Amino acid sequence: MKAAPFAYVRPPTLDDVLAELAGGDGKVLAGGQSLVPVLAMRLGRPATLVDVTAVPELGEHGPDGRSGYRVGASVRQRVVEHDPAAQDVPLVSMAMPFVGHRELRSRGTVCGSLAHADPAAELPAVACCLDAQVEVAGPGGTRTVAAQEFVTGAMSTTAGPEDVVTAVTFPTAGPGDGFGFAEIARRHGDFALAGVVCRVHVTEAGAVDAAALTGFGISDRAVTRDVTALLAAGESEDDLRPATTELAAAIVDTGGDTHGSTGYRRRLFAVLAARELSRALHRAREGRTTR
Amino acid sequence: MTAVPDSPARRDTGSRRVPAPAARIAAHESAEVTFTVNGTETTVEVSPRMHLGDVLRERLGLTGTHLGCEHGVCGMCTVLLDGEAARACLLFAVQCEGAEIVTVEGLGTPDDQHPLQQAFSAHHALQCGFCTPGMLMSSYDLLANAPEAAAENLPEAMSGVLCRCTGYRGILAAVSDVAESYPDGVPEPRGCAPRMLVGRTSPGAGTAAEEAGTAAPQLTEVRLPTGPPSAVVDVTSQLASPVDRVWGVLTDFDLLARCLPGAQLVESYDEDRHRGRATVALGPVKLSFEGLAQVVERDPDAHRLRFHGQGRDTGGSATAADVVLHASPTADGGTELSAHADVHLSGRVAQFGRALAGDVSRRLFEQFAAGVDEAAETGSVSEVPLGRRLRLAAGAARDAAIGAVRRTAHRLRDRARRGSTG
Ligand SMILES: Cc1cc2nc3c(=O)[nH]c(=O)nc-3n(C[C@H](O)[C@H](O)[C@H](O)COP(=O)(O)OP(=O)(O)OC[C@H]3O[C@@H](n4cnc5c(N)ncnc54)[C@H](O)[C@@H]3O)c2cc1C
Ligand code: FES
Ligand code: FES
Repeated sequence: MKAAPFAYVRPPTLDDVLAELAGGDGKVLAGGQSLVPVLAMRLGRPATLVDVTAVPELGEHGPDGRSGYRVGASVRQRVVEHDPAAQDVPLVSMAMPFVGHRELRSRGTVCGSLAHADPAAELPAVACCLDAQVEVAGPGGTRTVAAQEFVTGAMSTTAGPEDVVTAVTFPTAGPGDGFGFAEIARRHGDFALAGVVCRVHVTEAGAVDAAALTGFGISDRAVTRDVTALLAAGESEDDLRPATTELAAAIVDTGGDTHGSTGYRRRLFAVLAARELSRALHRAREGRTTR
Repeated sequence: MTAVPDSPARRDTGSRRVPAPAARIAAHESAEVTFTVNGTETTVEVSPRMHLGDVLRERLGLTGTHLGCEHGVCGMCTVLLDGEAARACLLFAVQCEGAEIVTVEGLGTPDDQHPLQQAFSAHHALQCGFCTPGMLMSSYDLLANAPEAAAENLPEAMSGVLCRCTGYRGILAAVSDVAESYPDGVPEPRGCAPRMLVGRTSPGAGTAAEEAGTAAPQLTEVRLPTGPPSAVVDVTSQLASPVDRVWGVLTDFDLLARCLPGAQLVESYDEDRHRGRATVALGPVKLSFEGLAQVVERDPDAHRLRFHGQGRDTGGSATAADVVLHASPTADGGTELSAHADVHLSGRVAQFGRALAGDVSRRLFEQFAAGVDEAAETGSVSEVPLGRRLRLAAGAARDAAIGAVRRTAHRLRDRARRGSTG
């Protein structure tokens, strides 16, 4: 399990990073927790690895000043996990312990997880559910893309081979927000067989005025639906189950494998979705935003 | 919950340095990387694709870090990087400039084990031991950095390392035992005193020289490691020659060197420094050392001589020793010659293990004492054929030697394969 030879560079500025990527035969190296296994198994043989960790501004993280929490490209998952300010994005805190293992989160980055876009990964699902904004720099300048448009399929994004994801901004929670997160994996730390992320917002009177549900591990990417109307069915898990079962049939299309059939994944999704939506709604009404 | 008041974005510098930029290293070139391993700063020359696990094992002789899958799944290779557990197989050494690395060798030493090591032993938390270094480093990280996760759900918190034989009960019991015994935090690693870590400085040069049988890199100063020695040798021999003649041999460095089987004085310098060469043959293993010795104490009245020696072989092994020789007269007109040596080993020879290193050193000293006796009596030492210089009956010696040879054969095969595929 040794990687094929590659050149390595750790440029000092973003411009230098972009210059190294120009031509398209380089790959960004962030935490390496997904890229290095690919290299070790020789599934990929990039000519050059461009390590982004020496660029000072890519290491920034914290409130962005506009009710968002912004995370730069070289910020490691574990730093966010232990950052008190990240608690203002409860879904990130809820999902983070499920991203691989502690030993991987010490190196893996939040932006790397988005850029890698594994269909069963937690953080892209959280980003999609919250409508997080992904900043991308490339030869044609910089642009900001909504997470749902950023991910275009399994391990595919709108970031091209000459682009770098520079940061992602998650909206912080406000009054009336409630959240839910759950996944089923064969073992803790494995990618999920199926998982759900949801957010519910209620008015001061307690009426649902916005709700979104994202499933992951169930299709070629995280799939997000507006479920504001669905919550009219009621508040309890049982009330919501028929609607989530119907939704599962519509969006869960991952083919069966040794770990579970498509039908099994649909059941997982329907059960988890009903449960987490019900919880999120209760939390929103109680003014609680975390578990 | 409301948004926190705005504050300027922070840099990710918590426990972690921002690495300095690094110039491009071409795929088939190598570059020097300097980092700290178990308290000792070390520089290695590596190609971009060499991962930290291989550097620790092959260049620095720190074989405590195991490699299982080499793609991030098993956790065998877990080490502490800047205080946090990380997979050594998912990190290229070139990413580690300026990093602080602690391996299981740095967690505790055989004589001063870390509480986690003691607990693993007490709870039978290992069977074959293959996962143990990874389990220890992961559990250290857990208790040091995320004790709340340990308290909440220990099995999940420890799920990053796999064990294929003991089962997890003993391991979890050991970790929770330590968590309970140290509510204010797990004690720091214990084996991080600066010590000798002499690796192969350059992969290309080292291996080429090894194959061509050319000289080892020249040492110019004697530096004694400060960490605990790999082996301590205390031997006393009874010599027939009177003490004055024995002392005469001890102060004649040329003669003295020849008393050690396989050793030879090459050149003497000022400050009582002497360059020499020594060959050690152990079954099929043959190591050739170039070394430098410096006399640091010479007491003619007490017949005491103390010197520091340091040697390196072409394959990246290194030895260093702090030796005190003491001659004292006996009632029958003969001499009792005693030696005390703190021996430090690293690189390939370190794989022999402490017990074997001690055995070999002891055996060498006995032959040395016989040589001193002969020299004291006749003024010279007879040549001993290399093959018979050191014969060890111990099965352990044979096994270790065979193991070492297999490993070497492996490396040569790998190299040949690499060579043939370009
Ligand atoms: C055993 C194991 C279990 C895992 N389990 C999970 C899990 O359960 N859930 C989960 O979500 N993840 C899991 N992972 C993946 C891990 O979380 C990675 O950290 C993450 O997916 C990628 O982040 P990284 O910083 O390590 O990226 P890297 O490995 O450095 O990069 C991954 C890919 O993204 C690209 N990339 C990275 N950063 C950028 C950027 N800024 N701009 C453009 N492209 C970029 C790289 O070129 C590469 O193609 C697991 C990994 C392992 C080894
Ligand atoms: S060797 Fe298996 S995780 Fe590193
Ligand atoms: S003790 Fe053998 S693998 Fe864990």
